[in-house]
Amino acid sequence: MKIASLFIPCIVDLFLPEIGEATVQVLRRLGVDPLYHKAQTCCGQPAMNAGYRDQAKKAAKHFIDVFGDDDVIVSPSGSCVYMVKHHYPELLSDEPVWLQRAEEVSKRIFELSQYIVDILGIEELGASFNGAVTYHESCHILRGLGVSDQPKRLIQKADGVKFVSLPLADMCCGFGGEFAETYDYISEEMVKEKVGCYLESGADLLVLCEPGCLLNIGGYLSRNHPEKKALHIANFLAGTGGVG
Amino acid sequence: MEIRTTLFNEIAEKEIRNPYARAFLKAMPAAIAARRKTVMGSFPDPDAAQACGQAIRAEVVAWLPELLEEFEKNALARGAKILWARDAGEANEMVLAIAKERNVTYVTKGKSMVTEEIGLNDALAESGIEPFETDLGEFIAQQLKRPPFHIVGPAINVPVEEVCDLFMEKAGMEKPTTDPVELGYAARLFLRDKFHHVALGVTGVNMAVAETGTIINLENEGNIRFNKSSPRTQVSIMSLEKVVPTMEDAMHLTRLLSRNCTGQAISAYVSMDSGPKKPGEIDGPEELFIIIVDNGRSEIYADSVAREALRCIRCGGCLNICPVYAKIGGYPYGWAYSGPMGQVLTPLLLGLDRTQDLYRACTLCGSCREVCPAGVDHPSMFLYYRSKDVEEDRGLRGKKRPWKESRFFDLWSRAVTHSALWNLGFRLARPLVNRYSHSGVITRMGGYFEGWFRTRNLPAIAKETFHERWKRLRRETAPGGQNGRKGKP
Amino acid sequence: MSEEEITGRSAREDILGRLKEIPKTVVEPRPDMPPLRELSLDREQMITTFIEKLTLEEGIVYRVQDGREAIARLTEIVVGEGLQKVMVSTDDVVASLDLPAWGKEQGIAVLTPRDSGDRDSFRDAVFDEVEAGITGADYAVAESGTLVIVHDADQPRLISLAPIMHIALVSVERIVPTYERAIEELYGDTKNIPSHVTFITGPSMTADIKGKPFKGMHGPRRLMVILIG
Repeated sequence: MKIASLFIPCIVDLFLPEIGEATVQVLRRLGVDPLYHKAQTCCGQPAMNAGYRDQAKKAAKHFIDVFGDDDVIVSPSGSCVYMVKHHYPELLSDEPVWLQRAEEVSKRIFELSQYIVDILGIEELGASFNGAVTYHESCHILRGLGVSDQPKRLIQKADGVKFVSLPLADMCCGFGGEFAETYDYISEEMVKEKVGCYLESGADLLVLCEPGCLLNIGGYLSRNHPEKKALHIANFLAGTGGVG
Repeated sequence: MEIRTTLFNEIAEKEIRNPYARAFLKAMPAAIAARRKTVMGSFPDPDAAQACGQAIRAEVVAWLPELLEEFEKNALARGAKILWARDAGEANEMVLAIAKERNVTYVTKGKSMVTEEIGLNDALAESGIEPFETDLGEFIAQQLKRPPFHIVGPAINVPVEEVCDLFMEKAGMEKPTTDPVELGYAARLFLRDKFHHVALGVTGVNMAVAETGTIINLENEGNIRFNKSSPRTQVSIMSLEKVVPTMEDAMHLTRLLSRNCTGQAISAYVSMDSGPKKPGEIDGPEELFIIIVDNGRSEIYADSVAREALRCIRCGGCLNICPVYAKIGGYPYGWAYSGPMGQVLTPLLLGLDRTQDLYRACTLCGSCREVCPAGVDHPSMFLYYRSKDVEEDRGLRGKKRPWKESRFFDLWSRAVTHSALWNLGFRLARPLVNRYSHSGVITRMGGYFEGWFRTRNLPAIAKETFHERWKRLRRETAPGGQNGRKGKP
Repeated sequence: MSEEEITGRSAREDILGRLKEIPKTVVEPRPDMPPLRELSLDREQMITTFIEKLTLEEGIVYRVQDGREAIARLTEIVVGEGLQKVMVSTDDVVASLDLPAWGKEQGIAVLTPRDSGDRDSFRDAVFDEVEAGITGADYAVAESGTLVIVHDADQPRLISLAPIMHIALVSVERIVPTYERAIEELYGDTKNIPSHVTFITGPSMTADIKGKPFKGMHGPRRLMVILIG
């Protein structure tokens, strides 16, 4: 019986818990028993990005304490996985014991689609959608983790799906965490362009793997094009509704 | 050059609504990025080629003083005169001294970002020596008194009608036209006359080759070649980091620079000077001065993270790919260097306190890092500067963060290590946030979050967070699952 | 302004001193890179590639068998364009064709740098009087259709730059696959390095106004290459 420890980031916990639920359902369908440590809080990304390294370090150590004994950690958020893999060793570089633990955890944490395709070796899991589907390449997932084929294959192998490519698929949607608030006038032009590409693609559904991007793109769609939907890959695979 | 880095938002908000700027920005960067991809394909292994460029630049940073000494030695042996300038003031004084001693009344200049950095044009003009920018885009920008819009096209956003008016007023053009080609030829005639009689030509330097003491310039127009061929005196100005180890390295970087800058395999002209002209040669400079400018770089060098900024070869690849630059263009960056590379370098040269927006107006998307042939990790640099603000670092002139923000992250860090506190915080926040919601959607909120809601909605905080749902989810049908077991692959 | 202030000697010590204070970091060895494809081209393939690449940049390339045919092609060009006055360099390739004599036959004024005498008169001639510059080239680089010209007493810089047309003559024996081949030969002997070398890949160009590209910004508007052999 495979077991995977879930890291559910704050955005999902608070605003999009259905992504977490769908993750649980999908893992169970694949014969994986999801485990959720209630002591988990945050990967520390907000503090890191704002320059508060001491505070981010505290979050990192807490994360390592919570997840340190797990053999596999899965998260429906690529940016959080990137935080752990890329920034934890950097934050803890001056504390050898913590650094070693961080490097261990780095090896065992996966973004959801990466886990399903690369670790479980599964591409077809009985998902279905009748219509054209397109995919947005989130920055931390594509450039940070090198994950791109995996979610696309999962989408393409779903029953009834016609996969269409998204123009400028790898262009940033303009979320950037705090950026969306502090430089709102730039952020909104970026998400407008991203949504314009979605409309241009002719797809019936936009799928993505990053909750932050989903809040951003989904939030814009909800206000301006409520008939167009965006869905997290977990919900897409589980066949359950989402934002947009 | 006026420093307007504190006006980032004001300028950006204006530019983002400028139809000419937006039209250009929509088309050109994407076109160049696509061409870049194709032309990088001329390498059997483009990733290896890029990695090689990055390795060369890593060596340059690591061995900077030794390479500079080697360059100087070899350039002197070729008959060049090498001058060192600690700052902009010293550099400008040197150029002025050289010009005045030779009774120069005007100079012609090739495009050079470091000369903008040191404000050479202003220094010359103030001393009664007229500087003529001769790169067409720089010429237009200079005459309009505007900063460069883009590394490759400094004035590419200027409407043709404005260029026409300008040329009729300042470039001796007689008949009005809005045809870009005719306008270009009008500028050509005007500047050609300057080249014909010029006594002192000023250029930048793309690469200074240590192995041979050679300076190399890349261009498409030919104005730099004129500055190296027509006058009796040539002054070439370089910042420290322009040095490269060998001619072979220079060839490799030439390929990478051209591909990243304009999507060309190579620029139309590459010119290489090893000292002034030799006896018997009928053109070329009798004297070649090479001014090596520090202007804060040797101080940056002491910081092991900041010094990575010195890898940059000014190819502009990052500008061409940046999604933020694609919305706001070059002006908001407020100084000689724009786009992601400007965001990396300007804060180090001017101080973090006056350049706050430069490293904060970024989503950390990493596109710049991905294309950089020199191996600059822009997002890491920005995170580093942000942390230096929090630390109020004196060397980099970090600026103290707002009290509310510091307090927030202190509380945050207490909660993040105590999940009971963390979850309590959410439970307390939920009714406060959700009082703005109807039917599970928030369409408006004041204060800090106001900007989001101008064009977007937000889901309300869930009635049951995932954390709260887990108890129920755990109990639902799971294939043979048990509680408390550790996650195994 | 003191000599020391002008030469910035103390600035040098300051700058290098600060840089040298910092302990050296270890640098990773350079990664391997597969050799460029052009290195495996034979002569004919290099010639084809050279012509293809330069043509894409709007250079015009003629291939001729020998010096006699080169003169014939040159005549065609010059007469076809109605040129009256040209400046030629005196490098080996051009010298071997005896263009001053050819000019007399054709009724075309052929100037050499020495005809002008001093540098200012030469400059006046190339800027204002001649309609084309004719030079040899030291190498033709296949990878990008690039001419490599070494400038010396027989090869002034302005001849390939100031006139509106540049005609270059180069033997196919000078064709090389990549820049490095030319660079190795030119810069290999550190005691004898040319003062000025230019790589020329097509006519002068810009797209600085409205992104609209055009040729002949400052340098020649037209580049023609006669490949001999």
